[in-house]
Amino acid sequence: MDLFLQTLLSGILIGGIYIMISIGFSLCFGVMHVIDFSVGEWIMLGGFIGVFMVGWLGADPLLLLPVVFVIFFIVGYLLQPAIQKAMSGKMAQNPALMGLVFTFGVHVFLQGMALTVWGFDRVSLSSSFVGGSVNLGFAAASSMRMLVFVIGISITITFLLLLAKTKIGLRVRATAQDREVASILGVDVKGISKLIYAVYAGVTGLAGVLIGSIFSIYAEMGMQYTTFAFFTVVLAGMGYLPGVLVGGLFLGVLQSMVGVYIGGRYIFLVVFLVLYLVLVITPQGILGKGWKAH
Amino acid sequence: MKKNIITDYLPIWGAILAAIIAMFIGQVIPSFWLRIFTGLFMWIGLAISWNIVGGYTGYVNFGHGAFFGIGAYVAGVIILGGHMPFSIAMVVPAFIAAVVGLIIGYPTLRLRGAYFAIATWAFLEGTRQLALVLDITGGAYGMTLPPLLDEDYFFRYMLFLSLISFIGTYLLLEKSVFGYQLKAIRENELAARSLGINASLTRTLAFSLSCFIVALFGGVYGYWLTYIHPDNILSPLITDQMIVMTLLGGMGTIFGPVVGAVVLYTFNRLLWIYFTEGVYYYMLLGALICFTVVFLPDGIVGFLSRVFKKPDLPDDKILNIRGNLARWRDKLKI
Repeated sequence: MDLFLQTLLSGILIGGIYIMISIGFSLCFGVMHVIDFSVGEWIMLGGFIGVFMVGWLGADPLLLLPVVFVIFFIVGYLLQPAIQKAMSGKMAQNPALMGLVFTFGVHVFLQGMALTVWGFDRVSLSSSFVGGSVNLGFAAASSMRMLVFVIGISITITFLLLLAKTKIGLRVRATAQDREVASILGVDVKGISKLIYAVYAGVTGLAGVLIGSIFSIYAEMGMQYTTFAFFTVVLAGMGYLPGVLVGGLFLGVLQSMVGVYIGGRYIFLVVFLVLYLVLVITPQGILGKGWKAH
Repeated sequence: MKKNIITDYLPIWGAILAAIIAMFIGQVIPSFWLRIFTGLFMWIGLAISWNIVGGYTGYVNFGHGAFFGIGAYVAGVIILGGHMPFSIAMVVPAFIAAVVGLIIGYPTLRLRGAYFAIATWAFLEGTRQLALVLDITGGAYGMTLPPLLDEDYFFRYMLFLSLISFIGTYLLLEKSVFGYQLKAIRENELAARSLGINASLTRTLAFSLSCFIVALFGGVYGYWLTYIHPDNILSPLITDQMIVMTLLGGMGTIFGPVVGAVVLYTFNRLLWIYFTEGVYYYMLLGALICFTVVFLPDGIVGFLSRVFKKPDLPDDKILNIRGNLARWRDKLKI
């Protein structure tokens, strides 16, 4: 029973990370209608830039979070028009697929760049503020993981509140629902798309720093996290933000249960199998609230 | 209309002529170049097979490499276990892959757009993970096959296979009802179905056909390489390259994958010869994908036919109207 509770707790805590990397991804799909294949690469780059800046400035990784967010915000803001161009080209027969293939190219490019610059080495970050572990009575958890979970959940809730309560959130929701109508009603659709992509890149890069302080960072890690983001968002129902909470926790618990009770090398096999089956059986996610494909 | 066996089937005669010339060239060049040409024919075949689904049905398949791997593994198991002649060990995996393609394709092709892309991608990664844990595939150790040190043999085999794939897909996709049905479904599925075309069956057959072809090449490649491991046979890079080749050449055209494969493979080998293999290749590949999508979305073949084609075809008119609408929308900032 102790083992079960411990596994459950670590699964939930890891789930917090998955929620964090999937929330922006899901929002980005909702607004731009494009699946970003490069989501894992933003995480990887975030981790590496965190390592670089820690070495350069000597500051604590947790203090660098806002800086990393700003860097990735700018990168995303500059990249978004290119994705839009790929999707709206005159010859593009299928805009969503063109966008998909474009971000796929970005993924291949960024991974190659990271391999060229940083090679195959693994590095990791550590914060001097948080260490040790907390005993919760029924199970123990590392305090860093707890902190990351709290940060992940807070960012998600902030997102949802901003979307639900503010003027700009209303504009974002209108754009997600119907671009044409929103633009007729005076919403700056292009600006909103840029903003959302920038926020998404920022949050994902920031997640990279947090992931780097729990696990290790290496150039090929992106694919793995792209998988996790896809999994979470597919389970949640694509474009349905509150579902991300369920999807992320499910993935975390699934992963840690498989790791403990079946064996570490089966984790990915089970993850891909479940992802494939969910897609084939219920493409709108386990809650059935996702968007129909275009 | 009067039929003319020469002019109606010009691409086939061209391909046969090119194959005969290649055959003669193969007799005189050293084995270093022979290997490079063998690889070229393989990539032409792989791009052709990807184009059947990616180009003619409009479903971007990110997991096509899974069937390449299935072909290689099945061939490997047969060669190691059965002491069967190579020519049988080559055809069996293709049929197995075609059946797997039917089983996987039917449910997966019900998904659209991005959902399909993610599902096929998950299928490829799942297959790779499966190959890493199964005993029959050798798990993380891979499989080592007895080497067959006859470069000329593989050269002729790959040449023959790619020629057959080209002629087969040309006849099926450009000259038969099947091809017209596929194109009709791609352009407007609802209209096609209202004309009595069974869309999901036709698509599934196309998917299965492309699995058949890719597994043929997978089997030969595994035997050529003699070492089958999830990291080389089921590497995502194989699928990536098939996509880039087809995209670069022109999706949904008969010459597109051939042109794309020749251009990208030549580029790849030149880099390899002059700068040795390196991870920077991923960077170039990624940049090439982005560039093609933004500036050359209909590929080299599409671009050339746009340049040399007489204007004022109905298709172009519709495109023009669309383009004008888009331009006005931009100008009016709505």
